[in-house]
Amino acid sequence: MTIAGSHGVVWLAGQARWGLTVAALMLLGLLQGCVTATVDEMTFLEPTEGIGDSSVVILGRRHAPDYETEFDFIECIGDHIRRGDNSITVLHELEFINMMYPWFEPRTAPLGPQDIDRLMAQEPVANQFSNIKLEYMIWIDGSTIETNSSGSMTCGVGPGGAGCFGFGTWGNASEYEATIWDFTDQTEVGRISTNTSGQSYMPAVVVPIPIIAPVQGTACDSLGDQLLQYLSATR
Amino acid sequence: MISGPNRLIRIGFALLLGLVLAACGAKQVVVQGNFPPPLMEKTPLTLGVVYTESFKTHEIYDEAAGREETDWLVKTGSAQVEFWDTLFTGMFTEVVHIDSHDALHAVEDEVDAVIIPYVEDLQYTIPLHTNVKVYEIWMKYRFRLVTMDAIHDHGNGELTYNPNQSLADWTLSAYGKTPTAFLQSDEEAVNLAAVVALRDAGANFATSFHRVPAVAEWLDTRNTITELPAPVTASVEESSTSEESSTSEESSTSEESSTVDESTADDEGTTST
Repeated sequence: MTIAGSHGVVWLAGQARWGLTVAALMLLGLLQGCVTATVDEMTFLEPTEGIGDSSVVILGRRHAPDYETEFDFIECIGDHIRRGDNSITVLHELEFINMMYPWFEPRTAPLGPQDIDRLMAQEPVANQFSNIKLEYMIWIDGSTIETNSSGSMTCGVGPGGAGCFGFGTWGNASEYEATIWDFTDQTEVGRISTNTSGQSYMPAVVVPIPIIAPVQGTACDSLGDQLLQYLSATR
Repeated sequence: MISGPNRLIRIGFALLLGLVLAACGAKQVVVQGNFPPPLMEKTPLTLGVVYTESFKTHEIYDEAAGREETDWLVKTGSAQVEFWDTLFTGMFTEVVHIDSHDALHAVEDEVDAVIIPYVEDLQYTIPLHTNVKVYEIWMKYRFRLVTMDAIHDHGNGELTYNPNQSLADWTLSAYGKTPTAFLQSDEEAVNLAAVVALRDAGANFATSFHRVPAVAEWLDTRNTITELPAPVTASVEESSTSEESSTSEESSTSEESSTVDESTADDEGTTST
């Protein structure tokens, strides 16, 4: 009985140590790198009573040779607006592009609101726009890039286990600009831009602990908030 | 009789060997994708389409240059046929496939013109020196629009056409890049780049077909004019299209007739990495 009891105490002490380790890891996991964000807004002709049963589409610019606005970033902004005001119908980007093929491919997409007229001259295109009741077309141009990285980390595996040791750090920067077109009036009604940057860290003592700066996520929230404020009737 | 543990060891060994051999083999991609129909007014034409054997089975094989590289086999043929079928069907009032001498005779009086697409060149880049799975594909197509009279069969199932009876002959380029670098295998990344390139080729064709000088002239004689908005990058593409397009009179070929599979266009894809 005594022997069994001492085993139990050792087992409990081991469990507590593991518990503390896990808690410490979780706490560190919750830590995030710092992000700096700047938002500039210039909008006019805001819809005072919301957009009603009309719809909005958010599209990424992808005609530049050296970068493309990420599909997941566009989806993130759409989700942000839907979550903020579920009365706003935000069309899914890829569905819209497929529905309108080939008029919104990188080589054919309109670059200015004046190009809408040329699209509307095509009867099937005009009918499709009428079916989806599009009120605003929002173009997002920009991307997130890695600006710097340094540090080193060594990982190894042995008979007793595996582990890493070292430190790594890297920076990210986002630059996005949203251009809002009023589809009915075929005019540009606003521009919102956001610049975010942050530094991520990854110290490793046996286990690597990533402390990630949510640079793109912050850019999405900043831009999403401003667009929501513009489109929503409940602001 | 093999006992249980021995059998497991043999199966394990076989699996390991399989994995090692698989790692040595070429990476193969059969391009697949969903291609939307074009949203446009149909041109009132009954278009015959000839897909040559080399077009239907188009593939590129890129042999590894070094130990760090892998052989690649990218099969685009079936995706090409599926894509261009969807596009042509959406662009013209009627599309007729001409793949045999029987089909040729069955539609002889109905077809206004026959289009023969070729993949003239295909190049791609592999992200060898980065860990980002972003691939790029460039494709160059050659299209020949010929009259029905230009297509002949020699009774052996082989279709030939007379290049002097071409209505138009032009090239068209397309570009595709893997749209995202995350959570994708190399094969998925190549497939996505190829699908994007096909879509770009379709967008280019749909917006430039009526503006190819020889095609426009022919449509004009038939009073079949469809106004289409010019693409945003029209200035670059337009010039290359008009530079490389030629009418039958301007054609430099001196052949009396050529088979549709042995055209002057090099239909074999080439690769560069």
